[in-house]
Amino acid sequence: MVKFAHLIPVFPFLAFLINIFFGKKLKDTSAFVSIFASTISLILSVVTFQGVIAGEGSYSLGHWLTIYGTPLNFGVTVDSLSVMMLLVVTIVGTLIQIYSVGYMHDDPRFPRYFAYISLFMTSMLGLVLADNFVMLFIFWEGVGLCSYLLISFWFERPAAARAGLKAFVVTRIGDTGFLIGILLLFFVGKTFYFADLAHVSGNEFFLTAAALLIFLGAMGKSAQFPLHVWLPDAMEGPTAVSALIHAATMVAAGVYLVARTFGLFVAVPFCLEVVAVIGGISALMAASIATVNNDIKRVLAYSTVSQLGLMMLGLGVGGYSAGTFHLMTHAFFKALLFLCAGSVIHAVHTQDIQKMGGLLSKMKVTGITFILGTLAIAGVPPFSGFWSKDEILLEAWNSGHPILFWVAVLTSLLTAFYMSRLIFLVLFGKPRSDMHAHESPKTMTIPLMILAFFAVFVGLIGSPMTHHAFQGFIKFEGHQITGEASGVGWIMGLSTLVGLLGIGLAYLFYIQNNKILPAAFRSQFAFTYKLLLNKYYIDEIYDFLFVKPCLRVCDFLSKFDFAVIDGMVNSVAEFTQGCSEVVRRLQTGLVQNYMLVQILGLIIFILTVSAFAQLFLH
Amino acid sequence: MIPLGFFVALSAVLFCLGIYGVLVRRNVVGILISIELILNAANINLVAFNKYLGTPDGMGQIFALFVVAIAAAASVVGLVLVIAIYRNGKSIFADDYNLMKW
Amino acid sequence: MAEFVFCFIALCTCVFAFLTVTARDIFHCAVWLAFCLLSVSGIYFYLDAEFVGVIQVLVYIGGIITLFIFAIKLTAHIDDKTIKQTNKQILPAALGAAVFFVLLFKIIGSNPWAKIQPDAPVVSLKQLGLSLMTSYALPFEFISLLLLAAMVGAIVIGKVKR
Repeated sequence: MVKFAHLIPVFPFLAFLINIFFGKKLKDTSAFVSIFASTISLILSVVTFQGVIAGEGSYSLGHWLTIYGTPLNFGVTVDSLSVMMLLVVTIVGTLIQIYSVGYMHDDPRFPRYFAYISLFMTSMLGLVLADNFVMLFIFWEGVGLCSYLLISFWFERPAAARAGLKAFVVTRIGDTGFLIGILLLFFVGKTFYFADLAHVSGNEFFLTAAALLIFLGAMGKSAQFPLHVWLPDAMEGPTAVSALIHAATMVAAGVYLVARTFGLFVAVPFCLEVVAVIGGISALMAASIATVNNDIKRVLAYSTVSQLGLMMLGLGVGGYSAGTFHLMTHAFFKALLFLCAGSVIHAVHTQDIQKMGGLLSKMKVTGITFILGTLAIAGVPPFSGFWSKDEILLEAWNSGHPILFWVAVLTSLLTAFYMSRLIFLVLFGKPRSDMHAHESPKTMTIPLMILAFFAVFVGLIGSPMTHHAFQGFIKFEGHQITGEASGVGWIMGLSTLVGLLGIGLAYLFYIQNNKILPAAFRSQFAFTYKLLLNKYYIDEIYDFLFVKPCLRVCDFLSKFDFAVIDGMVNSVAEFTQGCSEVVRRLQTGLVQNYMLVQILGLIIFILTVSAFAQLFLH
Repeated sequence: MIPLGFFVALSAVLFCLGIYGVLVRRNVVGILISIELILNAANINLVAFNKYLGTPDGMGQIFALFVVAIAAAASVVGLVLVIAIYRNGKSIFADDYNLMKW
Repeated sequence: MAEFVFCFIALCTCVFAFLTVTARDIFHCAVWLAFCLLSVSGIYFYLDAEFVGVIQVLVYIGGIITLFIFAIKLTAHIDDKTIKQTNKQILPAALGAAVFFVLLFKIIGSNPWAKIQPDAPVVSLKQLGLSLMTSYALPFEFISLLLLAAMVGAIVIGKVKR
């Protein structure tokens, strides 16, 4: 049953080829091709899932290269982690593609969009199925490429083009580290395969360096501090793209990578600490920025950074199951939230939440699913987010990281606060500007409803109700970090309290005293407000430190190329021309001149020959 | 008797003067005249060699006769061309023809 | 005695040739050429090539020089006396010719030239006629063809178009 897993990425790839080459002829049916391929992948994923439950495992497809004596094969890794990712990616992907039919309806490049989405599905599914670093890296680059193509899909807008470039360059920094890490790992640990990582050994220093570099790649892809700057700008792309790539799947690839290479990280505990700390910093920082942002999509983008930070935190403290559990639940409710945002934007044609308000009455389905998604992310029981966040808090407490524990708690509070702020400002209250809001078409609302179902109920898989089935399914086989779970009860209570507190605060600010409190806080904490509104000025710092010097170097090189290199080439041509200017005067057109030259030539010839003869023959 | 070299030297003098004339004269008829000088220099060489190292059948002298005939034909055609050009109103000075200039 | 004669004739030839190439008036040039050719004919007589000498006088002076004079007169310019007869490359040409002569002279000087054989055969007119008609009959015919072609060509080019 499992042996068909390698076909899962193939169908979306075929859809990509069909849409790229025949898209102009297909027009609207290109969506159908894409969705059909995605559905087949979904069915195959389910089949594979059944196979994994039955106990089957990874397999190899054949020999590829031999590097320094180590064979490198095309292999497919089919275990609980990869099959969970397969299901998540295919379900969310298919639903978002159905949603895109309505969202991208009038776009002139409709087939191209679906081609890119299919290519993305291929790369993501391939990434999840790869059993060695090299194959994973290939698909890693593939998703990066698709991200770039889709962010700057509306490339006529300069902001979109710049955002795509920014995403590519920033993730490139991570990817370079990743590649160096892979190579370093090969030279130290002599392996490319994930299966070997559980018992890898070698020089401590190099292993640490390799693991850190690999984490650098994960940081780039999952938008962790300090490489998080590309994700908010990536919101220039279509909202469906943001939902698929920058919320549910691609950014989760970094978390997946850490989980996949967990054996290596466990072998070098220092790196796990680094992972957790960076996760914590990203989580708190992004959550704080989201509390004051006024763009609906950017709030959700920072929320993504924050939640990914939480996942990294969970993995870093040793909670393999907790981190991946949150990965799964997050994929569903974040995709749902983005799609709702898209629906809202589609209706009111603006992204500024200060201009929205009172949309609940006009967009029932969107509104209700939006609220459900918010409750999930806020961590209110029994929604999915509660269970997964609770697991992370549990792991943080039990592994002896009290600071990180409180950081996670604070992040949860802020999460509940800003998400509630979002829905209060968008859905409730009086409309703050002229909007002709209407509910979105069925192709858009039905995926919303399906995703809402998942967002609400999928968390129960890991809850005590099902005896922690998820944790039993996906757990780290190797050396365990955390001991017995204790403090389950009071932590659960604390997280619920924190969630409700956040919602309550938001209610206070934005519904009850919405004319006084926000303005008061803005003037009272003016410095903090400005700092948060400008995203801690990180973009400006990067611009000053890196972008401007780089541009200056490029400018210099360009001038150098123009002056020196072009100059050299041009001067060769000019020299030739100059010579010919001089030499052409030999052609006077007068026959007597030519005869004179002949006589003189003859004389010179005779002299030369006689000189040679005298020199060499006597 | 005079060695053969003197005749060859005389021929050389005539030849060089003829070359000088060809290179220097502007009038085309003048150039043709100088060419006659060159041909005569060759002729002197032929006849002298025939006398000193000759074959019984007088090959050198016969060669010289042929050269005279050819020189005649050449100058005939050349002069007729000059006359035809002159008749068309064009110049008979060699410097005026530089159409193939650079 | 014979050497003195040769020197005199050779000197004449050189002088007349020099005058030919340096004459201002083209007509003078033709006249000096005539004298030069006469001297050359003298050289031929000195070398016991009487027939060639006579032919030289007849054909060259009688025919070709006449032709030249005709051509000169037919293409005469009114201001022939004032136009420059030499072009701009007088200096390099003179230099080239001089150097060339020096080279030739060196080559000539470095060779041991033959003295006249005491039993050298003197080619008689009868002998010339015989070889012309037998061994060299083919070049003879070709020459006649060439002369015919030259004649026809000259007539065609020289025709005055009506």
